[in-house]
Amino acid sequence: MKKQLLLISILISFISCDQRPVSKVITIDQKGLKEVTLPLNEKIKVINFWATWCAPCVEELPYFEKIGAKYEDKLEVILISLDDAKNIKSAVQPFLKNNQIKSKVLLLDDPYAAEWIPLIDAHWDGAIPVTLIVSKNKKQFYNKALSYDELQDAVEKFL
Amino acid sequence: MKTLKILTGLLLVALAIAFISGMLDSHDRENLYAPPPVPKQYPIKESTQENATPTRGYGIGDAATDFLLKNIDGDRISLKDYKDAKGFVIIFTCNHCPYSVAYEDRIIALDKKYKNLGYPVIAINPNNPKEYPTDSFEFMKVRAREKGFSFPYLLDEGQKIYPQYGATKTPHVFLLQKEGEENIVKYIGAIDDNYQDATAVKNNYLENALQSLLSGKAIHVTESVAIGCRIK
Repeated sequence: MKKQLLLISILISFISCDQRPVSKVITIDQKGLKEVTLPLNEKIKVINFWATWCAPCVEELPYFEKIGAKYEDKLEVILISLDDAKNIKSAVQPFLKNNQIKSKVLLLDDPYAAEWIPLIDAHWDGAIPVTLIVSKNKKQFYNKALSYDELQDAVEKFL
Repeated sequence: MKTLKILTGLLLVALAIAFISGMLDSHDRENLYAPPPVPKQYPIKESTQENATPTRGYGIGDAATDFLLKNIDGDRISLKDYKDAKGFVIIFTCNHCPYSVAYEDRIIALDKKYKNLGYPVIAINPNNPKEYPTDSFEFMKVRAREKGFSFPYLLDEGQKIYPQYGATKTPHVFLLQKEGEENIVKYIGAIDDNYQDATAVKNNYLENALQSLLSGKAIHVTESVAIGCRIK
């Protein structure tokens, strides 16, 4: 009886370890956003702006999850939510759990979008979704929703 | 007693198996994502729009096209019907977008104030209801009634008007001024710079532009950006 219980608890803990954690939202401000867009030496940053209520954004999120897992050692996928900060507990975190989102998720808590939109790209007028790919020596902005193939092509230009 | 022990043991094992298999299963369930990962319905149309010939839309000083679009009351509305207007506040907006919803009260207030001064609001829903079901003509009627819209709320049937203006998102404002037979674009962009809190607005872009037009002065900020929901 004790042995069985022990065995079961070992099994459970083993399985739990194997499960990659669902991402937890971290709130950032304009300063944080500036830091996020800075290039990394070792990895390519794939930054996507989205929100839980944005249907075309939600549609492309799985592609970002997939590409992030595929090139785990080369890419850092960062999903920046533009949801209202007061909806983190009620909407954003449950969404991440339900959809098993494991990429890094930040929430930009700053309504003055006109101040930070130009930091991302001069051609962005504020429609979401958009995606920015940044490396040490390259930067590319996609002012549209991407299919998986388009995302794959975009990333491969940086590899 | 021994049977009980065995039974309890078996039960625990069964529970554990059910639990573990459930966890394992959740790893592979890709269809957990809300919309199924099918390719876009109109890939060719989209790629040509985005890559080959990007529709740039109007710039400041361009003459905006007139239209004949169906209003929620069944009438068809055209700019040329407004003989006495000095201009128009064209706002591409919709039901489903939280940014549009956040601005509804402000749009009503702007219309009530500036309609009498010659600049009525004309709201146009540019979305395809197949992409966003709550943006259908029926739901437009419901929303306008709920909020008591004081302005026409038109459907861009066939989505022919918004690309000409170059609207990309909701809400997206085009302030026009009548000059002879033409409607000249004077301001493009956001209503103001804080969708969350009308009392914390730093730049009242649209209202400042309207005031400048009314007093015959040059508009300081003729274009602005803001987050919005991509038109589909």
